[in-house]
Amino acid sequence: MAAPSEPRVVVTGVGAVTPLGETFPESWAALIAGRAADAPVDIFDTSGCRAHRACSAWLPDLPRFSRKALGRLSRASRLALPAAREALAQAGLLDRDGFCPRSNLALSVSTTAGGMAFGENFCRDVLAGRRAHLFSQVERYLPQQQVLDLQQDLAVSGPSVVMANACASGANAIGHAADLIRAGESDCVLAGGFEALCELVFVGFDCLQATTTEKCRPFDLTRSGLMIGEAAAFLVLESRAAAEARGATILAELAGYGHGTDFFHLTQPQPTGSVLVEVMLAALREAGLDPAQIGYINAHGTATPVNDGPEALAYRALLGDVLGATRISSTKAAIGHTLGAAGAVEALFAIAALRTGDLPPQLNLREPIPEIAAALVAPGEKQAGLQHVMSVNLGFGGSNAALVFSR
Amino acid sequence: VKLDLAIAGHGAVTPAGVGVEALFSAEPKPQMLAPLGEPKRDYPVLRVDLKDPAFTRWQKEPRLRRVSPMTFFMIESAAQALGALSPEERAQTGLIVALSAGCLVYSRRFFQGILRDGQRTASPALFPETVFNSPGSHVASVLGLNGAVYALCGDESAWLGALKTAAVWIRRGRVRNVVVLGVEEFDPLVLDAYRSARWLRRPGFMASEGAAALLVRAARPDDPLVLAEAHESLPYRTRAEADFAARELFLGLDEVIPCHRTARGTWAETLEADAAAGRPEIAAAPPPHLGLAFTASAAWETIRAASALTAPRGIVPIWGLNHRFGRLDLARR
Repeated sequence: MAAPSEPRVVVTGVGAVTPLGETFPESWAALIAGRAADAPVDIFDTSGCRAHRACSAWLPDLPRFSRKALGRLSRASRLALPAAREALAQAGLLDRDGFCPRSNLALSVSTTAGGMAFGENFCRDVLAGRRAHLFSQVERYLPQQQVLDLQQDLAVSGPSVVMANACASGANAIGHAADLIRAGESDCVLAGGFEALCELVFVGFDCLQATTTEKCRPFDLTRSGLMIGEAAAFLVLESRAAAEARGATILAELAGYGHGTDFFHLTQPQPTGSVLVEVMLAALREAGLDPAQIGYINAHGTATPVNDGPEALAYRALLGDVLGATRISSTKAAIGHTLGAAGAVEALFAIAALRTGDLPPQLNLREPIPEIAAALVAPGEKQAGLQHVMSVNLGFGGSNAALVFSR
Repeated sequence: VKLDLAIAGHGAVTPAGVGVEALFSAEPKPQMLAPLGEPKRDYPVLRVDLKDPAFTRWQKEPRLRRVSPMTFFMIESAAQALGALSPEERAQTGLIVALSAGCLVYSRRFFQGILRDGQRTASPALFPETVFNSPGSHVASVLGLNGAVYALCGDESAWLGALKTAAVWIRRGRVRNVVVLGVEEFDPLVLDAYRSARWLRRPGFMASEGAAALLVRAARPDDPLVLAEAHESLPYRTRAEADFAARELFLGLDEVIPCHRTARGTWAETLEADAAAGRPEIAAAPPPHLGLAFTASAAWETIRAASALTAPRGIVPIWGLNHRFGRLDLARR
């Protein structure tokens, strides 16, 4: 459990751009309505791939940017900037000019590919012997450049960290932000993740035969793979004392964070899910909770054959006899696997479930995995009086992370 | 930010050889290599010799059969830093890797394969190794580091972010020790990047590769030297912003505190010369030039400065060339 002397960490703002909407409320409404965003990929050629569909986001307008300035922004930044602004606006941390008045605001962000499309273009041009515009592509592709875009747009210059722990990165970035606050390093952190569709990553998952050629069906016996997605999501995390002192509305408390590494295989979880159980227990210990107190889990649930079985076993082992009382769903059937953004987007969905009692349905089920069939959320399901929820992510390299949010 | 970390072990892999002593030995001899986009023009590059016997034991590890060079740099550095740490202690040791472009060799090969042969023939063996955190996972797995593993991306300043994260983990009791690694691997594609940035025109500039690791723990009163504080400059995008950030980094610092010069051969060399003008140097003589290897360079220079410091305090500027600068403050007790 977090030491009593350590600051408690609360969420005072959220924002997201997802394939379901340009703002978090839009995305949440569409998610609860049971919509899914998969569509043919049209931003790069997929003709040589097995899969041809993904969940793309509609890029929001950025009225503060000229056409020329927009051309210099990576697709990742086009997603991240409005999501970060939305979170800060909800937290009351944007002034009338649209800047953040806390110039020393810390950033803890995540991605797996940064502005990779620029890197791809650079590589393509170099190999083709083209020399024009090489520098503008290579200087903007690394992830710290998206951080710099955020810092410049928001007029902040505090410390920053870019977490690149594969698909658990978003949860790690949020957990790290909480660590910074609890350790007294900062009293306010903008935490989140972003990921933009790019050819290298799409083809990478496709060549692993991890992508589906039909519907994405998390926790289903007939699942055949994941649907790649893109998104950005941010949370404003503050110490409770700092948030209360400025009269901010507290959306939830980040009560616990657990993380660990599964060494079974670079791309597959340990078959019994035992490492994930340890990570979830660590998050619960920090929150001072028992597993039975968790009302809803936003699961990782990629719908790949190798992920969902062990993950389901982990929930079975964690929850035991109370499994049916805890509701579980993976939202990747609706928005796709947003990789470095997944942990952040899905944390927002968990918080929204906590606050509204609406539960994101488990879409595309045909034959649910028996181990957790009783716990999977049905369309239209609500659960009043939720007190605690969890968001869980796993990633390549064995990265596992769990976040516990409480009222 | 207060770090209060003691160095319990260190390790290095450099173009001058394997082991921390290579940081102080003779200048390594550069190879002449050409960018992919300009095959007729060669530039000097400092490479690690992967045939060094130190790598043999790692090349036999089943988990490391397909890994990129950076994983070998990392695991050898980390193993040196861990020394004889017991398995029980390793189980309470975390790993934080600060890196810039990640597994560039495999990323370039993977994407070049797509461009040359089409998406249908993309290599499933290469792709997982291109992910930023894969090398750290391999290293932690083989060395039995069960604490936690983070991969942090950035320019050289990510090295400071990794040290700060280690300090937070230790302070919060998440782990007892942390191996903090800086690493970079060379691919000819970086020469194209440096050429486009005009860095190759600079006298003394050399692309490089390698790694260094520090095993850090909470400082105790009897530790002779501690990593005391880490400071990050303002982020910058333009040269004017970079000038301002560099000046601000040294603002208000007592002029008798010695500095370890770290910007050699890079565009930040003039900024460093201005910002540290008149300040004594930590090392009596400039150590061998090891070229630019981003976070690996930052880690090498940290070890060099910590080894050479005799004054009560010393500063190590960290010249992040793509986002922000930083400063690591050392204290000798």
